[in-house]
Amino acid sequence: MITEFKLPELGENILTADVVKVLVKPGDKIAADQSVLEIETDKATVEVPSEYAGVVKEVFVKEGEKLKVGAVVFTFETGTAEVKAEKPEVKPAAKPTPAPEEVPVKEDVIKSVPEAKAVTGTFEFVLPHLGENIASADITKLLIKAGDKVEVDQTVIEIETDKATVEVPSDISGIVKEVFVKEGSKAKVGEVIFTVEGVSTSPKPKQETKISAPVKKEEAPAPVLQEAETSKAEKFFAQSEIPVKVNTVPQLIVPAAPSVRRFAREIGININMVMGLGPGGRISIEDVKAYAKGLNEQYAATGCPRNALCIQAEPLPDFGKWGDFERKQMSNIRRKTAEHLSYSWGSIPHVTQFDKADITKLEEIRKQFGKKVEQEGGKLTITAILIKVIASALKVFPQFNSSVDMDKNEIIYKKYFNIGLAVDTDRGLLVPVIRDVDKKNIIQLSKELNEVSARARDKKLSLEDMQGGSFTISNLGGIGGTYFTPVVNSPEVAILGVSRSSYEPVYTEGQFEPRLMLPLSLSYDHRVIDGADGARFIRWVIEALENPFLLSLEG
Amino acid sequence: MAVNTQLAVLGGGPGGYAAAFLAADLGMDVTLIDLEKNPGGVCLYRGCIPSKALLHIAKLISEAEEAKKWGVEFGAPKIDVDKLREFKNGVVNKLTGGLGQLSKQRKVNYIQGRGEFLNSTTIRVKKTDGTAEDVIFGKAILATGSVPVKVPGLSIDSPRVIDSTGALELNDIPARMLVIGGGYIGLELTSVYAALGSRVTVVEMTPGLLPGADRDLVTALSRRLEKKLEKIMLETKVVSITEVPEGLKVKFEGKNVTEPEQIFDKVLISIGRKPVTSGLGLENTGVKVNERGFVIVDKQLKSADPNIYAIGDIVGNPMLAHKAAAEGKTAVEAIAGHKTAFEPNAIPAVVFTDPEIAWAGLTETEAKEKGIKIEVAKFPWGASGKATTMDRNEGMTKLIIEPETERILGVAIAGVGAGDMIAEGTLAIEMGAVVKDLSLTIHPHPTLSETMMGAAEVFYGHATDMYRPRRK
Repeated sequence: MITEFKLPELGENILTADVVKVLVKPGDKIAADQSVLEIETDKATVEVPSEYAGVVKEVFVKEGEKLKVGAVVFTFETGTAEVKAEKPEVKPAAKPTPAPEEVPVKEDVIKSVPEAKAVTGTFEFVLPHLGENIASADITKLLIKAGDKVEVDQTVIEIETDKATVEVPSDISGIVKEVFVKEGSKAKVGEVIFTVEGVSTSPKPKQETKISAPVKKEEAPAPVLQEAETSKAEKFFAQSEIPVKVNTVPQLIVPAAPSVRRFAREIGININMVMGLGPGGRISIEDVKAYAKGLNEQYAATGCPRNALCIQAEPLPDFGKWGDFERKQMSNIRRKTAEHLSYSWGSIPHVTQFDKADITKLEEIRKQFGKKVEQEGGKLTITAILIKVIASALKVFPQFNSSVDMDKNEIIYKKYFNIGLAVDTDRGLLVPVIRDVDKKNIIQLSKELNEVSARARDKKLSLEDMQGGSFTISNLGGIGGTYFTPVVNSPEVAILGVSRSSYEPVYTEGQFEPRLMLPLSLSYDHRVIDGADGARFIRWVIEALENPFLLSLEG
Repeated sequence: MAVNTQLAVLGGGPGGYAAAFLAADLGMDVTLIDLEKNPGGVCLYRGCIPSKALLHIAKLISEAEEAKKWGVEFGAPKIDVDKLREFKNGVVNKLTGGLGQLSKQRKVNYIQGRGEFLNSTTIRVKKTDGTAEDVIFGKAILATGSVPVKVPGLSIDSPRVIDSTGALELNDIPARMLVIGGGYIGLELTSVYAALGSRVTVVEMTPGLLPGADRDLVTALSRRLEKKLEKIMLETKVVSITEVPEGLKVKFEGKNVTEPEQIFDKVLISIGRKPVTSGLGLENTGVKVNERGFVIVDKQLKSADPNIYAIGDIVGNPMLAHKAAAEGKTAVEAIAGHKTAFEPNAIPAVVFTDPEIAWAGLTETEAKEKGIKIEVAKFPWGASGKATTMDRNEGMTKLIIEPETERILGVAIAGVGAGDMIAEGTLAIEMGAVVKDLSLTIHPHPTLSETMMGAAEVFYGHATDMYRPRRK
């Protein structure tokens, strides 16, 4: 039989899509779930999986073409096809359009096809999927015996996994024919628990139980979903189903019934993150389940809860056992810093290269010209000079002025030179950015540096002022210390830590000489910068500091 | 003597006994400690319950009086204070005795006495019979409630100066009475004494009665009260009370004061309540108390001491029995290991005056303060058939609505029976109902509850009983 594959619904308000790639051609054999089309909507690029298996007969679309939702993409022969169960996870955004009843349902495929259509016969009830990494469960209670009548949704067994005790509802109805397990026995996921004689109607298999088990991972914070990439169809669907809610109303009044809120609490879902699909955004149990399921799938797909950090917070101990303590709300800056640096630290493989620069000569020059700069209204500091040196170094080593796009497997090279400066304020760490440093001289830079640090301390920095950096400098020399390991300020790929300079005996030409040495710590993203380049970069910087004329020559 | 218990509940008020009973129902071994012979607390002994018994009589008296207008005359009421007090005490005894029974049936170990924490696992109870008993507990729930605030200089030691407890004892009906504080407790007791025949003056420091409540709700009440009271003095302070042979000489201060010195037979001080958190030995535990005397707890009602939970008036406002009971249940569930939290969308508040005032969820006042965008739909009871049959058209039903989603964020009612009707509003808020849900729910006719549906229809500009097209 020949069936049409139509462009499925892609989400609310999406009526058309551009065909980016057609992944099938006539004669191709396709499996259910295989990607057949890559399309781009104004929201995302999505790979569209086929609902069915079969052999492609005719393809009606070309790459670059605009398609309406519902348009026929290709036809295929389903003579040997199995109907795939309607995937609960694609509701409601992407309900498959091809009507299932057009496809013949064969008796012998019923087990793998719990289709909505009612079929009579003998059916097996298997232990459903219980959650990630749960392969088996102990049967703690058996609530049916041979001869019993079971209904869909009736609890038939109670099981215990290492995570939870769960009541498992039946997805089939009929008279129990044979029971294959005993109370106390262990059953594997997928193992047949009992068979029934009767009518199968199982539109909602297996999802019910899944949500009960995994609790911890759902608690992972999920703040940035809307920004998340949407390159894969599952992600797109998962996303359209679990959007983060933007609540305009005080969070105290949650649009969910007390029973729903309790349910969410019990399975460890923050109700405020759940998008309600009911009137006025009302959240139903189903919405909470869909959200939990989405989280699970995302977890399964990426191995990570939501964002890149796979490390789950350990439960905190009860500190009160050991003495007094107090809890304080994090300031927004602190929270942002914590999130951002955790992300940087967790996603960037860091290497830190240490070295020191002999700035004896530079210091003389600095003192010599210090007055002049001061007259111009700036202050000739090591940081101001370093900004200039780094700008030149970035030109010589463009990989240090880049960002990584792992999703597209691309490196982004920036043609601008903006340097961020870590500034310690009483509210926390702020990183204002000085722009186009390559086009400014050191006097201009030192003036701007003064200005921007003052604005940082006076709380006058705008968000704009802190964005768009190429590279960051963190100077802790004013406080002291020899070396430290600065954390790269993602999406930048390198950061230079500056410590306090001090006089050290340096062995030159047969004798020790007191030289003013400046310790430098360069952390970089090892994904784009090789160790040798890291060493070269810091050596270049040091040479520029030691031979100020080099800037004019090479910079 | 010492007794071991899984859960000790200190304080047998509506929070404490609800917690103790639920814990017993969940199979815990529970000890409940309270000063009274039976559970009940302030609510049953000297609060909600006795005041409601008296307010019921007050309403009866004023309705009998109003019946004159409708052609029925009963004559002046003859009040037998002793019998009235007996009735009130009977109500209290019946309910507290019932609680004692329920406590026994649940096998709760009830100890009558005053408890004090020795440490995070022991409460020493000085029993009313003079002996002492140590209760060694796994977990404890603090539910010691609140007491009326005393004002230095005004709360003088005189039988003529009383607080709500004294007022509810109903020792006599003073000829002339002053009520200091126009909050809900002051106004409820005002209604009682005014109906029983006292000439009552209410003095309130702020510009209006029931500070905090939406003004439009209060209007209906203050109009009616003005007729029944001698005087309502707003923005007025009492500076001194001195006992003189003929009564109490009270000095007022305020811009509208015409008579700065007046004599009253009794003065009722009802300016608020404060939590009972001192004298309990909390310093011997890890429990932390804030600067206002409230115990600091998390969403599961657990205090800074992991063994001790706290519920009810001692953990903060609103000081309401139903809030305490809900908290008590949450605390017990938390102790039982359930994943629970006290996070209601709405806690209804009721002022049992005549007319009653009730609200739940977001109020108009709060929305304004917090800059939350809302829409308000009001159904005046002038358009209610039932209200008209009762000759009580002064009420109003009001919905506070989230404009974009049309969700019900708050409900407020002024009028006869508002306290009973607010439950529907609370449910609507808790269920995340939208205005359409209310307007499409068939309400019985003729009832006051129809005004709820009416207000919802007003939002859409097509209320059957009122012509007020929607502006837009």
